[in-house]
Amino acid sequence: MDQIKGIAYQIAGDFGLAWGKFFAQVIIFILVYTVLKKYAFGPIMGMLEQRRQRIADGEAKLEKITRDAAEAAKNSQAILDKAEADAARLVKEADDAAKLIQERRQQEAVSSANTIIAKAREAAQLEQEQLMSQLKREFGRMVSDATSRVTGKVLNTEDQSRINQETSAQVSA
Amino acid sequence: MLLTFLPSTSFSPLLANVHSYASEFLKESSNLAFLTNSLLVAGVVVGLILWFATKATKNMTLIPHKAQNFFELVVEFLYGQVEGIVGAKIAPRVFPLLATIFIYILVSNWFGLLPGVGTIGWGEGTGFMSVKEVHDPLLRAPTADLNMTFGLSVSMFLVWLYITIKEVGVWGFIVHTFGAKGGLKGIMGAMVAMVFLFVGVIEVFSIVFRPVTLSFRLFGNVLAGENVLHTMSGMGGFIGSVLAPFPFYFMELLVGLLQAIVFTLLSAVYIQLSTSHDDHGHEDAHH
Repeated sequence: MDQIKGIAYQIAGDFGLAWGKFFAQVIIFILVYTVLKKYAFGPIMGMLEQRRQRIADGEAKLEKITRDAAEAAKNSQAILDKAEADAARLVKEADDAAKLIQERRQQEAVSSANTIIAKAREAAQLEQEQLMSQLKREFGRMVSDATSRVTGKVLNTEDQSRINQETSAQVSA
Repeated sequence: MLLTFLPSTSFSPLLANVHSYASEFLKESSNLAFLTNSLLVAGVVVGLILWFATKATKNMTLIPHKAQNFFELVVEFLYGQVEGIVGAKIAPRVFPLLATIFIYILVSNWFGLLPGVGTIGWGEGTGFMSVKEVHDPLLRAPTADLNMTFGLSVSMFLVWLYITIKEVGVWGFIVHTFGAKGGLKGIMGAMVAMVFLFVGVIEVFSIVFRPVTLSFRLFGNVLAGENVLHTMSGMGGFIGSVLAPFPFYFMELLVGLLQAIVFTLLSAVYIQLSTSHDDHGHEDAHH
């Protein structure tokens, strides 16, 4: 024990260890520690915490804005999709309606054309018949004239009727 | 035997004649013997630190000014390191102390590298304002005084003891130090317990000697650096005295930073080791 004590004293002597100097250094250290803790580290840590909080708030706001923007984009996309679908539906309806109208008009035109054709046919038929009857009558008259001239005989009504019938039958054939 | 061995190894500068102790200003007065050149520099260092801290924390804004920005950088970096070692729970309590230690040691170490520190002082006069050799320098790096480094390490030790007891309790500390780990039972358990008891005794010695190892490591490195710089400064005339120590100044800048980191990190590790809860042990006990 004495040996250890002796060693300690020798080391203390060699390196100038002394209670007064030791406590003076400790007091200086306590002073700087106290002042730094209260007036430097405290405010700085508070400021760092404040800034961290602000950054966290900013991040949260940014996240909310991003979320809102995504929501808005989604909504606008839905509106666009709906508008597009509506437009497509309207175009299809218009197309269908146009086709319907076109078909109707076409049918009307066809019908009208058929009517016109039928009327034209009827008129032509009628005209042909008129011409035919006129032709038959004329032809009968001519045959009667020719027969009366050839035979020198005045044809009676019965002869004329018979010649007309025969001539008509031949013309018709 | 030790006493007969010691005189042959008593400390004496191997290279330059740099004293291993701080010089007293008032040698005649025993009441004011604590006023040493290292205490003077310690006061200057404290003044510098407080001046800068005041400048940095004055008119603080969310967008920091230059001094505030630098101080915030240092504080944030140190807090991250301390939190990484001691954990988020203990960090707010020990950070101010560890940060103060780091800054104080770093500034003290680097202040000792300034021209004039250790080279201006009193000695055997050779002419007007010149001495043959400086025996009692006016300024001395505080970390080159064992009183300062020992004072720091003892303060650290007391804080460590307080935090440890507060965190785990006296019984918890005893169990943590001497208790057997592994949860073995029977004869094997008893043998392991004996081993851990022996390891605990060694651990106690290690803990008791921590202030000594911490203080002598810091003091020794700084004093050795001062010796190297003084020796190099005395080589090769005027040009040599300027050029020779030049590379060593860079080395000492690094050593100053390294020693501040070592002291602070070791202190943090000591706190972490004694305050970390043995969760696995508790789990084993529950099972």
